[in-house]
Amino acid sequence: MRSDPTAKLHDLFRSRVALLDGAMGTTIREYSLSESAARGDRFADAPQDLLNNGDILSLTQPDTIADIHRRFLDAGSDIIETNTFSATTLSQAEFFIEDPREQGGRKDPAFFQKVLEDDFLRGLVEDLNIESTRIAREQADRIEEETGTPRFVAGAIGPLTLSLSNAPDHDDPSFRPVTFDQVQASYLHQARALVEGGCDLLLVETIFDSLNAKAALVAIQQLFEERGSSLPVIVSAAIGSGGATLISAQRIEAFWIAVRHIKPLAVGLNCCEGPDVLRPFVAELAESVDCFTSCYPNAGLPNPLAPTGFDLEPHHMAEYMGEFAKSGLLNIAGGCCGNTPSHIAAIAEAVKPHQPRIPRARAMTLSG
Amino acid sequence: MMTPESLPLCLSGTDAYVHGPGSTFLIIGERTNVAGSPRFRKLIKEDRLEEAVEVARQQVSNGANVIDICFDEGLIDGVAMMTRFLHLLQGEPDVARVPFMIDSSKWEILEAGVKCLQGKGILNSISLKEGEERFIEQARIIRRFGAAVVVMAFDEQGQAATYKDKTRICERAYRILVDRVDFPPEDIIFDPNILTVATGIEEHNNYAVDFIEATRWIKENLPHARVSGGVSNISFSFRGNNIVREAMHSAFLFHATQAGMDMGIVNAGMLEVYDEISPRLLKGVEDVILNRHPDATDQLLSIAEDFIGKEGKKQKVDLRWRESSVEKRLEYALLKGITEFIDSDTEEARKQYGRPLKVIEGPLMDGMSIVGDLFGEGKMFLPQVVKSARVMKKAVAWLTPFMEEEKAANPDQRSAGRIVMATVKGDVHDIGKNIVGVVLSCNGFEVKDLGVMVSCEKILEAAREHNADIIGLSGLITPSLDEMIHVASEMERAQMDTPLLIGGATTSAAHTAIKIAPAYSGPVVHVLDASRSVPVTTALLSPDNRDEFRKKNQKKQEEHRLSFSGGKRKPSISLSEARANRFKCDWETYSPPVPEFMGTRVVEHQSIRELTNYIDWSPFFHAWGLRGVWKNEEQILKTRNAEQADEAAKLYIEANEMLETIISQNLLEAQGVFGFFPANSDGDDLVVWTDENRSHERIRFHTLRQQIKKDSDKPHYALADFLSNDPSTSDYLGGFVVGIHGADEWAKNLEEQHDPYQAIMAKALADRCAEAFAELLHHRARVAWSIESPHQFSREELIHENYRGIRPAPGYPAQPDHTEKPLLFDLLEASQSTGVSLTESHAMHPGASVCGLYFSHPESRYFAINSLQEDQVEDYAKRKGMSRAECEKWLGPWLGYEG
Repeated sequence: MRSDPTAKLHDLFRSRVALLDGAMGTTIREYSLSESAARGDRFADAPQDLLNNGDILSLTQPDTIADIHRRFLDAGSDIIETNTFSATTLSQAEFFIEDPREQGGRKDPAFFQKVLEDDFLRGLVEDLNIESTRIAREQADRIEEETGTPRFVAGAIGPLTLSLSNAPDHDDPSFRPVTFDQVQASYLHQARALVEGGCDLLLVETIFDSLNAKAALVAIQQLFEERGSSLPVIVSAAIGSGGATLISAQRIEAFWIAVRHIKPLAVGLNCCEGPDVLRPFVAELAESVDCFTSCYPNAGLPNPLAPTGFDLEPHHMAEYMGEFAKSGLLNIAGGCCGNTPSHIAAIAEAVKPHQPRIPRARAMTLSG
Repeated sequence: MMTPESLPLCLSGTDAYVHGPGSTFLIIGERTNVAGSPRFRKLIKEDRLEEAVEVARQQVSNGANVIDICFDEGLIDGVAMMTRFLHLLQGEPDVARVPFMIDSSKWEILEAGVKCLQGKGILNSISLKEGEERFIEQARIIRRFGAAVVVMAFDEQGQAATYKDKTRICERAYRILVDRVDFPPEDIIFDPNILTVATGIEEHNNYAVDFIEATRWIKENLPHARVSGGVSNISFSFRGNNIVREAMHSAFLFHATQAGMDMGIVNAGMLEVYDEISPRLLKGVEDVILNRHPDATDQLLSIAEDFIGKEGKKQKVDLRWRESSVEKRLEYALLKGITEFIDSDTEEARKQYGRPLKVIEGPLMDGMSIVGDLFGEGKMFLPQVVKSARVMKKAVAWLTPFMEEEKAANPDQRSAGRIVMATVKGDVHDIGKNIVGVVLSCNGFEVKDLGVMVSCEKILEAAREHNADIIGLSGLITPSLDEMIHVASEMERAQMDTPLLIGGATTSAAHTAIKIAPAYSGPVVHVLDASRSVPVTTALLSPDNRDEFRKKNQKKQEEHRLSFSGGKRKPSISLSEARANRFKCDWETYSPPVPEFMGTRVVEHQSIRELTNYIDWSPFFHAWGLRGVWKNEEQILKTRNAEQADEAAKLYIEANEMLETIISQNLLEAQGVFGFFPANSDGDDLVVWTDENRSHERIRFHTLRQQIKKDSDKPHYALADFLSNDPSTSDYLGGFVVGIHGADEWAKNLEEQHDPYQAIMAKALADRCAEAFAELLHHRARVAWSIESPHQFSREELIHENYRGIRPAPGYPAQPDHTEKPLLFDLLEASQSTGVSLTESHAMHPGASVCGLYFSHPESRYFAINSLQEDQVEDYAKRKGMSRAECEKWLGPWLGYEG
């Protein structure tokens, strides 16, 4: 594990609004890769299409992934995310294990237990996380050396297509396809490989389902206890226009109460319907939490006609994020789906003139 | 109430809930708790989860800020049910918005629950019960999940009852959590144990004050920590009297919240508004809660009577008897045990007869003498007689205030005789004595029952005070026999001449003749059972028959003494011969089974419902004087007397009704502990090792060997024979203690409601439940020992002990020495975990308790020790480190020589 970057990150967040990167998936589209390029030699015989399995490119097209990292770093990103949004056994199973429903079975804890124990998937997931971190690390270190500005690698831990909070089957509302312990084990496996690969911090992001996120956070603490040292953690929820997590319907303050015990470096919001929808909830968060805050929204709603697939262009995003910064809501800004390096460059310009948010002292947040 | 600088307790479901400075008392709903709501328990057990979810929804819509969810019940798979239920609640947006309190005494259930919470809930509870290491481990896991935690004031030594222990344990837990686990102090909620007051036991009087003061101390000294508790416990003694209970809850909360209590598990429907409690009741209640004076409990008990709800049990009966004269109506009510109209009929008779005493001496005594005659003729049975007594007591209670008005005019009351009765010091068993008391009072005797554990001084003092014509002593355990001798000799010293009656399960005509009668020159009479009590007392007090009866009694006792000392003794052999003829097992070819766990397991809140399946009913009927064998499949008592069988069938129905009441109102609490330990024998001792190395002794039990000469070549058994004496053989000894709590308090309450029938029934059922619990636990132990599969035997077969292994208890035939009992209790730490304590005579308290050792050997069997010889007693005394005289005192009835 690398030396603890917490102090350096604190300095950064106190001195200015820091920049996260944009969307890996959106940017990959610019390279117009083919299915066979995505498969490479290693996965030439894979049973299903892998073009949509963006994480796999860290193994089959490492130069492309490195290039994307480089472009975000050039655009001004202080923190780049590893290409590991779906690099867990549970998520990769979708691409490599036959859906049991094809054979009249169902996705249930017994099925996912086999997934968790599958040697191929375990090896793949370790490779994905270690290799992705290595690629990001290499670019970040190089640019840090060139520019003299510290750059950080955040190990990205994304959501699952499985929910611990909701039943997939309305006829059996107490059924869950996967158990908490299984989700925790899957995240522990990923987090261990990310830390091994050399990331500076962990980013549990796009939290649709707070209980899934809790499994990730429990796994991370377990990992830190195992290792006897910890890394900073940023927690970022995906909430809709109603102000609650999209799947488990938890309101933002309730979410904060449920995660604050891990003492996150920052808490924030990402993804969703765009910066305008997130604005009031970012404000609510900025008002109540005692750690740093982050926000990296989607570039508006999906729009198949737009070149990036999303509505908002770089100058739009710059306008919104500039206003967030001006209002003192932010310590970390960036973009999620639909944000390319040009978006990040524009956002970097827009937040530059503004002072970062000063987190409230702990006792102050507790007026209840 | 919180100090302004306290950090708020932040909780969440899908919504946030912040309990901070200025917040009001946090009421935690108990209706989704199987222990708090019979209805919820029923829904869960019948798997009607949709309706169970409705219960949760109603609680939230009624304003609960947090709901307590508990599935701690023997028959419920807590882990699975907690998971399923929380999954369902998560799908209900109206419910999922509030924080949940996961309530269980089992860690695995807490853990299963917290894994279903997306928000921040409360885990209720953990404690230092199993030591610091376990506590820290659990707290670390909880911290990872980010839940708040309830910490019970419980440590390795047990539950904290006093202010000193509560504050000591809470401070220790706090320091560990904050300093060593880095647990957020505002997420710590202490439960310093709300314990029941007004139990009649003096040490309990200060429990509420101890809690309130401990709360104050915690709030002042342990920054940010909260205080919570289960409020309904405080009023347990007044079960059945909701008005008093509600007043107690409100008054207790009033004082506890002022001291800083932040929250509590409360049935919001059982909370009277403090200001609306009537001043008289409030004073009575507060005197008890604040322990203002020693008579507070008694005073509240008498106030409480005014608030006892009318018994509304409706029976479909033929009411034609209501048309006859008031005398006939009273007689009918007495014969049939009907209390429904007794107050109005008694009042009518009082007006008609002019004076209350005339009613008693006239129609009431006439009715009772018919009852007495029928009982004497075997035409009525004990249960009926006791019901008649209930009617009598109620009638007398109605008349008492009128009699008191007239007392000056009638200083001399006619009665057949005054009898002072007591269960002697060190003993708690009183079912038989209570029945005798009822039977005697039915027959016109004035009975003063002093209760249980009564010292000699108190008995003699009461005898003098009441000018007793007869003193009756009762006891069940063997040490009570010595206490009876002591009472007899004290009566001798006081130069009394009052007849002394001896009764109870261990007493015998022989023992009375040989040991008790010689100590007292007045008449000493052994009474075999309740049906003999009336003829004996009548004869003893009859001017005509008295002398003849005394003479006969003396003659019989003389015969006993002669036969004892006159060589009719059974031949015996020496200890060394007996040891040479010990039971021998081929240990070479036999390897003892290994239990699946070592150490102890505590069974908290054993389901009474489950126990009912293990009840052996025959002894229950014996307690009621109905001899025979109960056939469970046919539900009949096999006896030659058809009327007895009918009566037993009725009794069975009523007993089951009462069991339902017990279950639905949580009137009895079953707690038990069992465990296994590496052990070997060493001579006639049983050595329990500290661990599998079998090098360090933890505890040593001592067993006794049979010394009676046997005709055949049968072995001379000692319990030690059933364990391997070779420490290289991995052999194991088990042990258990079970107790049924609540019967004494409940029975006392019923007594005070003039209902001796239900009171005796309550105790008899509690005894049966204790035995059933012992049977159930032994079954579980055998399964854990893999000498039985879970469904190998039917319940009937289990009751008849058709299984492998034995569970002998200290104080019973295979090891009659009660002094081995404290060793067993120490080994199992049983008092802490089960609440069962030992008196100075090593009787278990509450009386409805059973203990024993477990042996797994296939040839282990029950046997009886008696006629112990001097050589063995000498040897035994040495092994135990006691004087021979002391051993002889404890082993008295089993000595084969004159000690």
